[in-house]
Amino acid sequence: MTMTDGEIRELCNRFFDAYQDRRIEELAQIYSNDCIVWHNVFGRETTGRENLAALPDSYPMQRRRTYNDRIVDTFDGGFVIRYTLHGVQHSGHQGALWICIVGLCRDGRITRIDEYMDSGKFAAWRGGSRAAVYEGEKEGGKA
Amino acid sequence: MTDSELRALCHRFLDAIERQDFETVADVYHPELRFWVNLTGKELSRDESLSVLREGAGRHRRRTYDDRTINTFDTGFLARYTCTVVTHDGTRTALWACLVARCHEGRIVRMDEYLDSGKFGRPPGSTGG
Repeated sequence: MTMTDGEIRELCNRFFDAYQDRRIEELAQIYSNDCIVWHNVFGRETTGRENLAALPDSYPMQRRRTYNDRIVDTFDGGFVIRYTLHGVQHSGHQGALWICIVGLCRDGRITRIDEYMDSGKFAAWRGGSRAAVYEGEKEGGKA
Repeated sequence: MTDSELRALCHRFLDAIERQDFETVADVYHPELRFWVNLTGKELSRDESLSVLREGAGRHRRRTYDDRTINTFDTGFLARYTCTVVTHDGTRTALWACLVARCHEGRIVRMDEYLDSGKFGRPPGSTGG
């Protein structure tokens, strides 16, 4: 069934809100069963299930992540969203990444995600060794 | 602009860059063009962008925009592609990028380009992970 501009925009924002607020069960509802996720940094596809399975370990690495400055355009069968990913590390360091995601949609779900970002910004985003900061926080009983 | 007009404009732009046909690029650019790239987070004007293209013209033997996937929306287009570069020593490198463009009356008014600097100089197929 063809999705309207309004439905695609709503799905896009629902996806990013759920990602931001760490509602993994809702993300599982948003991904189609055959959803594929691809990143320009790694150049390989993973399944939606693999993507979701990685989130519980990924989320604690930052204190907070927010998906801001969202600019959404829709096309027949999907959306392109440009946004700023703001992260607050456990050290308090704040970083930002500019990211573009292309989402293909069908029947109210996302069937494919292509993510474009600059890995050259990762170090500045983390503000140092992410693993070291996280491990330090855990030892201090803050995580 | 229609879907077909937007697609034709997109191809005209990328083809012109491949050929280093900067007169066509200048014609495609709206006088008020703003070009933003995620590597720098800065906007270039039309003239600044053309200068960057001209200055970089001799840097590689060849640069092609392959595997183009284009989608259009009301006011512009989205192009995803593989930028393949052949350096003067014959080395081939490639990176995956996407470009979101706003268009008006047959010209590009704004471009936002997203690419990965970690791929600069890497051979095709290698990963940044």
